[in-house]
Amino acid sequence: MRAGEVLAALQGRLGERLRNPEVKAETVGYRRPRERECLWAEIAREDLLEAVRTLKELAPLHISIISGADVGDRIELIYHFAVGYGTETGEVMVNLRLTVPKDDPVVPSLCDLIPGAQTTEREKIEFLGVEFQGIPDTRKLFLPDDLAVHPWRKDEPELAGYVRRTVAWEEKGDEGKGEARREG
Amino acid sequence: MREKVKPEEKAEANEIAQACSTCFEVPIGPIHPALKEGIRFTFWIEGERIRKVDIRPGFMHRGIEFMGTKRNLIQVLYLAERICGICSISHPLAIVQAVEQAAGIEVPPRAQYIRVIIGELERIHSHLLWAGVAAHELGFDTLLHYVWKVREPVLDILEDLTGNRINYAIPIYGGVRRDVPPEKYPVLKDALRYYRSLVDDFVNFFLRDPSIEARTRGVGVLTPAEADSLCAVGPTARASGLRKDVRQDWPYFAYPDLEVKAITPEDMGLEVRGDVYDRIVVRLLEVVQSIEIIERCLEEMPDGEITAFPKVAALLAHLKKAEGEGIGRHEAPRGEVIHYIRLQAGEEAPVVWKVKAPTYSNLMPWYPMFRDQEIADIPIVAASIDPCICCMERVQIVRDGRAETMWREELLRLSWDKTRRIVGGLGASHVAREGI
Repeated sequence: MRAGEVLAALQGRLGERLRNPEVKAETVGYRRPRERECLWAEIAREDLLEAVRTLKELAPLHISIISGADVGDRIELIYHFAVGYGTETGEVMVNLRLTVPKDDPVVPSLCDLIPGAQTTEREKIEFLGVEFQGIPDTRKLFLPDDLAVHPWRKDEPELAGYVRRTVAWEEKGDEGKGEARREG
Repeated sequence: MREKVKPEEKAEANEIAQACSTCFEVPIGPIHPALKEGIRFTFWIEGERIRKVDIRPGFMHRGIEFMGTKRNLIQVLYLAERICGICSISHPLAIVQAVEQAAGIEVPPRAQYIRVIIGELERIHSHLLWAGVAAHELGFDTLLHYVWKVREPVLDILEDLTGNRINYAIPIYGGVRRDVPPEKYPVLKDALRYYRSLVDDFVNFFLRDPSIEARTRGVGVLTPAEADSLCAVGPTARASGLRKDVRQDWPYFAYPDLEVKAITPEDMGLEVRGDVYDRIVVRLLEVVQSIEIIERCLEEMPDGEITAFPKVAALLAHLKKAEGEGIGRHEAPRGEVIHYIRLQAGEEAPVVWKVKAPTYSNLMPWYPMFRDQEIADIPIVAASIDPCICCMERVQIVRDGRAETMWREELLRLSWDKTRRIVGGLGASHVAREGI
């Protein structure tokens, strides 16, 4: 699989709705140099399922991870797919970026298409407060059941409390460790 | 807080009770004999058979990604090395690729070969460690002690090359921190010859032993279709017949020169069944493959520089100016590790850092593996994916009828109290001598 083929297939299905597509190629190896490719593009959440269906029809599809970040009034998610495993240098990393407003952080779930996406989607629910429509399980995965904050959100007032407590302990503040040293 | 857990759990339990009136709910973990790390399995069992399983990790999540965004990139590299206690090189090898891609750093060829050598030595030690654990889970402790005894030389070699048995601190952005000098080649070659001489023994002890075959054939089966749809990685995916290996599919470092091919049980002339036995086959073959890779590296490795930035201050200055994003992937002993990083000019710390360890991807494949298995097979099925929970998670919880988070202050205070109790028993002169 080559990045050009993946790009053509995605553009064929989504047209102009696939924004800012960029193919990045790198040469790796010295005696037998090989080229490996990444495709970066932006899409709207409405087009996510269509894009994943397209990738799935092309070649064996693996979802590596969904990475996420709080970017002001929106939440950004990047879906990192590996398309076409099984052959030498046959894989293309397809990175699809989408943003959702914080007051409506709803994204369609990929679990119907890729059941293996459930772990990473559940992680994004607890860490970023994103809602996935159609995910079969929304329980906490890594964080304690009674933790009320989303640690990767930058606008969580309670989170600041947790961080202050830890930082004070690390002697970046006066309380905490000073007291600990006296006791020790 | 978002969704409360309890109503859903209840609904799920009712569903099971309705489907199977004779099912018993058996919680195993978070602390249990199947695995030395904390993870909770809840099994619904009918007679001796598992009808349904629920898996709850989250007992060792340390918030490493969050910590990473508060530290400079060099500190993050050392933090990444401490994500996993077994294959400590895997995460640094992935993060250096991500940062090099984001900051546009060229790596000297020799450094890429040294990264491969250390990575493959790590695979040998990790697969041997797993083989010992698997033998222990089957109740074959003699084999556990044998395998762990023969695992020692590879750790000695790693210590000789890097200065440490684990946490080697070898990769750095732009290269490696220590060379593998030619005078070390003979010791390394001796160790590889030693492991080659053991391969027949391993095949006899693990693959031709009737009791191991009886306990692992047809146990914990993952079909190729399930491995594909659930995105299994590493030896777990390859034992189900998927030729999926990052070193082959999306090569990096010097791997394209070394022509690495994904290994499945077919390479030993066996039909793929996707059971625990097949996972043993794949890992044993991979030990041989790693030996071959290292031998080839020693022959083909070019001379030259080992890092693009001999001075760390220059590297930090370059990284502070860098802006961009990158992904780094590495085929760890357990499967694909991926790191995503985003750098912003003027910031020393990464703006975003996402880590994915192999067990994270192999969590979903556990569900079909446990289906309709016997209670006695729980430990070996759990161990068969070679899980690394602390690696997958990254809060300490005490369960005393309810979930409670214990902070570091309290843990340290408990430790001091214990020290005082011990010291109290030893007398004042000991306290003065030890300076406690």
